[in-house]
Amino acid sequence: MKAKRADRIATVVFWALGGITVAILAFIILEVLGRGLITALNPRFLFGKPNAMASGGGIFPMIVSTFYLVALTIMISLPIAIGAAIYMAEYARKSKVNSFIRFCLDSLATLPSIVFGLFGLALFVTAFRWSYCLMAGACTLAILNLPILLRSTEEAIKLVPDTYREASMCLGASRWTTIRQVVIPSALPGIITATILPIGRIVGESAAIIYTVGVFIRNVPTNPFDTAAPLAGYIWARQAEHGVPDWRAIVNGGAALLLIMVFIIYFLARYAGRKYQEKKLLGAGTR
Amino acid sequence: MAEEALENKMVIKNLSMFYGGFKAIEDVTFDVPARRITALIGPSGCGKSTLVRCLNRMNDLIDGVRVEGEVNLDGENIYQPGFDTIGLRRRVGMVFQRPNPFPKSIYENVAYGPRLVGIKEKGKLDFIVEDSLKKAALWNEVKNILRDSGQNLSGGQQQRLCIARVIAVQPEVILFDEPCSAIDPVATQLIEDLMADLKENYTMVIVTHNMQQAARVSDFTAFMLVQEQGEPGRLIEYGDTNTIFTNPTDERTERYITGRFG
Repeated sequence: MKAKRADRIATVVFWALGGITVAILAFIILEVLGRGLITALNPRFLFGKPNAMASGGGIFPMIVSTFYLVALTIMISLPIAIGAAIYMAEYARKSKVNSFIRFCLDSLATLPSIVFGLFGLALFVTAFRWSYCLMAGACTLAILNLPILLRSTEEAIKLVPDTYREASMCLGASRWTTIRQVVIPSALPGIITATILPIGRIVGESAAIIYTVGVFIRNVPTNPFDTAAPLAGYIWARQAEHGVPDWRAIVNGGAALLLIMVFIIYFLARYAGRKYQEKKLLGAGTR
Repeated sequence: MAEEALENKMVIKNLSMFYGGFKAIEDVTFDVPARRITALIGPSGCGKSTLVRCLNRMNDLIDGVRVEGEVNLDGENIYQPGFDTIGLRRRVGMVFQRPNPFPKSIYENVAYGPRLVGIKEKGKLDFIVEDSLKKAALWNEVKNILRDSGQNLSGGQQQRLCIARVIAVQPEVILFDEPCSAIDPVATQLIEDLMADLKENYTMVIVTHNMQQAARVSDFTAFMLVQEQGEPGRLIEYGDTNTIFTNPTDERTERYITGRFG
């Protein structure tokens, strides 16, 4: 009887703890959307240009800045992460080099993002004379995200069973061919999933970009070396400066939009991962 | 078996293998006759899988492995410096203990090897895929589902797909490392029949822990044993399968095949 009761209590406690997690998430989502959804879905807000002083400004250049920054950052960091992960998972499994790289990555992962922001300001913005621009922010964020991206990419590659590698080698494939033809395609859904988390972080990051990308623009950025203003930084700036009369609406609308964007990116990435896996599975050249 | 001069496809001479400081197999010498099936039997851990992996240098992939002695393929030592291991593995294919199709379609699994050597033409690939699947006795079951994932097949079908995948690169020798240990008896029967058919064109070596299987499929049998814990595996007896199973010379072979240990 006693054991049964304890079990019952434990079940209720764990259920409640699980419930709290869900409740917190639901509360945040509802609160943010409740305050800002109407503003966020207003076409004049979504597709309008921001105003420097007057009310009624839009947020379109900031949305473009955010996606632009995400794309650039992934383009810079993913090849590095995949390359390094291949080296660590396939070539240097237990070597000293491997543990040294891991030590560096872990150290890098513990630094607060404002440190990366100031580093980016010193190196890309000032020393390279790029000034505030998307590229400076993308390089900064690429470094910021490298540890987590590399680690999860490495895990995805390690999850590929050794039997695939053996089978491929036994059919006369070289190590590199095996990696390219079998290991990477098999690991790809995992790698894509691995990029989702960093994307969420890039979209939401403000400390690392306010000193590298910029916080206010009026026109849509086109060149990677244009100054831009990703959403999170713009929200921060509006909240900090109260520069326009309707700053509160802009901040709430921006936050709701940010949330929606993270969701969209998340589902797109998952969808892409699944599609790719299906395509790879079925292969080309079948009758 | 008709009396004819047997040509030796592979000749293994005084082969020893070490994992770091540990000697796994010692001084193994035997021949692998062309277009025959040679079985390696012995209790678990006797080094038979290790030995078969020496025959296409799959052990090279493990760190700290060292080999002494010779493995000759058509008279050429595959362990001589500078020997082309990639070419070697095309000539000496392998089927593993657990079926391991790639997470690709059935078609792509079989086309993988031919694509590696640069065959891109669709007609040619189609032909190789069909031909290999037919030789592996799988064509009729999969001809309408070539686009499906190879991993959706049953265990026995997967193993035949793996055999088709090996056949597609037209090897001279096929090594089987306990190919039936993970599949059911009916599928095992199919694979044994298949091996008998393949004998016409291929030299085969099969590692098996199942003595009945060795007796059923093989022409020659090598019996391996680890005398005492920590000692290397040694070849105890090698010869015609009939002789090994009916009239072995070594007492240890007799005790093993009559099921008194191992």
